[in-house]
Amino acid sequence: MWSWEYTLEILPEILAALKITISATFVAFAVALVVGLILTLARRSAFKPLSLFAHGFVEFVRNTPLLVQLYFIFYVLPEHGLSLSPFVAGVVGLGLHYSTYLSEVYRGGIESIPPGQWEAAKALNFSPIDTWRKIILPQSIPPVIPVLGNYLITMFKETPVLSAITLVEIMQTAKMLGSHSFRYLEAFTIVGVMFLILSYSSSLMVRRLEVRLNLR
Amino acid sequence: MSVPLKLIYHEEPTRSIDNDPRKAVIKPIVTYSNISKSYGDLHVLKNIDLNIAPGEKVALIGPSGSGKTTLARLLMTLEEPTSGTIEVDGEMLWHQRVKDKLVKANEKHLHQVRGNIGMVFQHFNLFPHMTILRNVMEAPRNVLGLSKEEAKQRAVTMLEQVGLAGKIDAYPAQLSGGQKQRVAIARALVMRPKVMLFDEPTSALDPELVGEVLEVIKAIAAEGEMAMLLITHEMEFARDVADRVLFFDQGRIIEQGPPKKIFNNPESERLQTFLSRFNRH
Repeated sequence: MWSWEYTLEILPEILAALKITISATFVAFAVALVVGLILTLARRSAFKPLSLFAHGFVEFVRNTPLLVQLYFIFYVLPEHGLSLSPFVAGVVGLGLHYSTYLSEVYRGGIESIPPGQWEAAKALNFSPIDTWRKIILPQSIPPVIPVLGNYLITMFKETPVLSAITLVEIMQTAKMLGSHSFRYLEAFTIVGVMFLILSYSSSLMVRRLEVRLNLR
Repeated sequence: MSVPLKLIYHEEPTRSIDNDPRKAVIKPIVTYSNISKSYGDLHVLKNIDLNIAPGEKVALIGPSGSGKTTLARLLMTLEEPTSGTIEVDGEMLWHQRVKDKLVKANEKHLHQVRGNIGMVFQHFNLFPHMTILRNVMEAPRNVLGLSKEEAKQRAVTMLEQVGLAGKIDAYPAQLSGGQKQRVAIARALVMRPKVMLFDEPTSALDPELVGEVLEVIKAIAAEGEMAMLLITHEMEFARDVADRVLFFDQGRIIEQGPPKKIFNNPESERLQTFLSRFNRH
């Protein structure tokens, strides 16, 4: 049976763990944003080895499970001298995994830029770097911000998988509380409700952002 | 829409040079030598030889698909010639010499030679995310490396010349087509190219906006220093501005000469047919 007393007792501990979940989400998202952009540009590079490598990386990461990638980073890399804390391993794994998806999002944004923009940049003799920096990216990123926002929410909901590499985030905390008291109902319910509240309110914000961007 | 510059009409061709390079007394600013361009089986340009003198105004007329635009796009390095060479101010454009051998130019070389050329597009191609001022000052700032103040000053002067000083804080979407094209002209001019390409600059405009753009181009032409390649369907404009008119058809220059001769005494049958379509009204 549901006990409110027990719920209030464990709530502070779960809320504290929520901080870890949220910071893992944002750090991993930042990794995904940066690496995703690098992958997109590398895939478009005229230097074949680079674009082939980027292509291969994207296909490899997208076609293997995140859990396997996380285990690899956390349990296999230390055997080769690279030991990462659960948090670092988690955000690197989650970030790299989603960078391949964000790379597709960027690509869509870039491909929607009319060829005339590239031609005007060339006619004004912009260097390739300035063309990207000043002309192409400032036009291709704003329209895809809502899609990026949705990926942020998806990544947030994906963080419980990090409990598998011993990161004490909200899910791991709930599991530990459960195994101490043999009461799982309250802990997991709280976790579920928290994800629901945060994801739903964030998706409402993304939708509002989308409307505002469309109005421009 | 008033244009603050006085307009001067060319009565006689002054700067035209003979197309035979041996007879040229002035060193040409642009030389096309045996230029061909094809897309698969489609031959857009066939063995074009063409010299343009410094400051010369050359109008390109002819039916759509005759290769006029491609000629300009090759010079702007937007497309690569299939064969032949182009020289700009004595320098190879698409090629460079490495140990007596002509090899394909690298990006650095292209960048250096491309700086002599400016282009105005049919569809303006303004940067929609920048204000008018930034559209015009961004290249002087980033490409020429001017200071912010210098770039801004140059841009404002240029925008005054095209009659748009009052719009510097507007975005392209807030302008009419004619205004957009005038910004595009200012944006190209601010780089001070030696050769300016106008690719059907009024074809995308509503008829009532064509005039203001042509006035601006005429005023620039009257200043004289820059060579201009004008691709246009406005015959009256070509007659007023050009030192020399080239008639293109099916990838070749069919006929060329001073505007008076081309428009009053066309020799080839194809040119006569082409012009008759314009003379009806």
